[in-house]
Amino acid sequence: MKLYWEVAKRAFQRQLAYRTANLAGLVTNAFFGYVRAAVLVAFLQGRGEIAGYDAQAAMTYSWVTQALIMVVALWGWWEIETTIRTGDVVSDLSKPFPYLAFWLARDYGRAAYFLMFRALPILLVGQLTFGLRWPTSPLSWAALALSLVLAITVSFAWRFLLNVSAFWTADARGIGYLAMAVILFLGGFAVPVHFFPPWLRDLALALPFVAITQTPADVFLERVTGLALASALLRQALWAVALLAAARGLLALAMRRVVTQGG
Amino acid sequence: MHTPRTLFVLYWRLIGAQVRSQMQYKVSFLLNLIGAFMATIIDFLAVAVLFTRIPHLAGWSLGEVALLYGMSSVSFALAEMLSAALDTFDTYIAHGTFDRVLSRPLGAFFQVLTEDFRLRRLGRLTQGTLVLWLALTYLDLRWSPDKAVVLVVALASGFVIYSSILVMGAVLCFWTVQGKEATNIFTYGGDFMTSYPLEIYSDWLRHFVTFIVPLAFVNYYPALYLLDRTDPFGLPAWVRLLSPLVAILLALLAWAAWTLGVRRYQSTGS
Repeated sequence: MKLYWEVAKRAFQRQLAYRTANLAGLVTNAFFGYVRAAVLVAFLQGRGEIAGYDAQAAMTYSWVTQALIMVVALWGWWEIETTIRTGDVVSDLSKPFPYLAFWLARDYGRAAYFLMFRALPILLVGQLTFGLRWPTSPLSWAALALSLVLAITVSFAWRFLLNVSAFWTADARGIGYLAMAVILFLGGFAVPVHFFPPWLRDLALALPFVAITQTPADVFLERVTGLALASALLRQALWAVALLAAARGLLALAMRRVVTQGG
Repeated sequence: MHTPRTLFVLYWRLIGAQVRSQMQYKVSFLLNLIGAFMATIIDFLAVAVLFTRIPHLAGWSLGEVALLYGMSSVSFALAEMLSAALDTFDTYIAHGTFDRVLSRPLGAFFQVLTEDFRLRRLGRLTQGTLVLWLALTYLDLRWSPDKAVVLVVALASGFVIYSSILVMGAVLCFWTVQGKEATNIFTYGGDFMTSYPLEIYSDWLRHFVTFIVPLAFVNYYPALYLLDRTDPFGLPAWVRLLSPLVAILLALLAWAAWTLGVRRYQSTGS
C-alpha cells in the first residue's frame, strides 16, 4: 500500500512542474466554461426547465463538467501508448509490482493534482462569474467525493483499454481520438444526457461513459438523493469493477504478445 | 526573384510532398480525419439537442445559429489547415530551426507556410461545410446576388482574419516562447464563442470581439446581413459589410508584426 501511495505522490509532484502550462490550460478551460454557461443560461432564461434542469442547474452542470476535463482526462491520455510505441513498456513490466495497479495509482496522483489545481479554480471562476449551485449537505459532499473517485477509476480503466490496444495496432491513438469524441457526447459532457431524445438517452444511460461525467455532475447538483443516489453510486462502482476486470484481461492477453528484444 | 507563378508552383510541390507522406499511413490518416470530424461536430450536436427542447436561442433559430456556426467553422478550418506550422512556431524558435529558414533563398513566411500541412484538418473543414450547407438549405434566405457575394467575401475575410491572428500568435514567439498558448483563446475559443449569437454574452466580451480582436466580422455581422437582421446593438447597417476591410487591416497589421519579429529575431544559438 505504501508503494502505491508513493507512486501516486510522485505522479502528483510530476504535474507540479508544469505551472505555466496548467495556468494556460486553466484560462482556456475557464473561457470555454464561460461560453458554455452563457449558451445554457440564454436558452433557459425565463423558460422554466429542461428535464429538471433550470437555468442555474444547467449552468452549474456545464461548469462542473468543464472542471472535470483534466481530472478524468477527457481530451485523451496516451502515456501508456507512448511507452508501448517506444518500447519503454518493457521496463515498467519488469518492475516487481502489478502493472495495472501501478498505473492506477499513478492516475490517482495525476487526478488529485488536477482536482486541486484545475477543477477547484475553474469552479471558483464559475462561482465568481455566474454563481454556482453547490452541494448543501455534508452527505452530498461525501457522496461527491466517492463519485469522483469512481469516475476517475472508470475513466482510467477505459483509457487503459484504449492504450493497451497499441500492442496490436499502430493506430491505437487514431481509434482512441475517435472513441474519446464519442464518449464526450454519450457521457453527457456537451449537454446532460437527460436532454437527449429518449432513445439516445436510454442508450447513453446503458453505457459506462455517464459514470465519468454525468453521474458526478448530478451528484454535485443533488439531482439524485437517497436511494437514487445509492443506486447511481452503485452503478458507477459496478462499471469501475467491470472495466478494471476487462483491462486486466486485455493486459493478460497482451502479455502473451510481448517479446523483449535483447538490446 | 520569384514570380507569383513560380511561388505558386513551388507551394503546391512542397504541400504535395507533405500530403503524399501523410497518405502513407492510410488507416491512421482516415482515423485521424474521422476523429477530427467527430470531435468538432459534437459542439453542433449539443446545440441541436438543446434546440429540440427550446426553439430559440436569444431570438435565433437553429438554422440561423447553424449559419453562424458554419461560417466561423469554415473560415477557421481553412486558416488552421494552411498555417499548421504557425501552431508549433514556438518549437521552431526554441530548436533553432528558424535559422535554417532564414538561410534559404526564399521568403521566410512562404517557407514557414510550406513547412507543415495537416491533411487531417480536413475533418474540421468537412464538418463546417456540412453545417453551413445544412444552414443554407434549411433557411429561407431570399437569395439575391449581393447576398451571394457577401457570403463568399465573408468566408474569405474570415479566413484572412483567423490567419492574421495565427500569424500574430506566432510572432509572439519571437519575444516569448510561451506566448503561443494565449492565441488559442482567440482561435479555438473565438471560433467556439462566435458560433453563437453575440447577444448572449456580457457587453465587455462582445465589445472585445467587435473592436479589439474583430472576430464578430468573421460571421456575426455578415450573417446579420444575410438574414436581413439589424444590429441589436445599434451599430449602423453598413457595419455588417465591413468584413473585407477589417480583414485587410488585420492582415496588414499581422504582416507588419511578422516583419518586425523577423528583424528582431536572434537565434537561440543551440
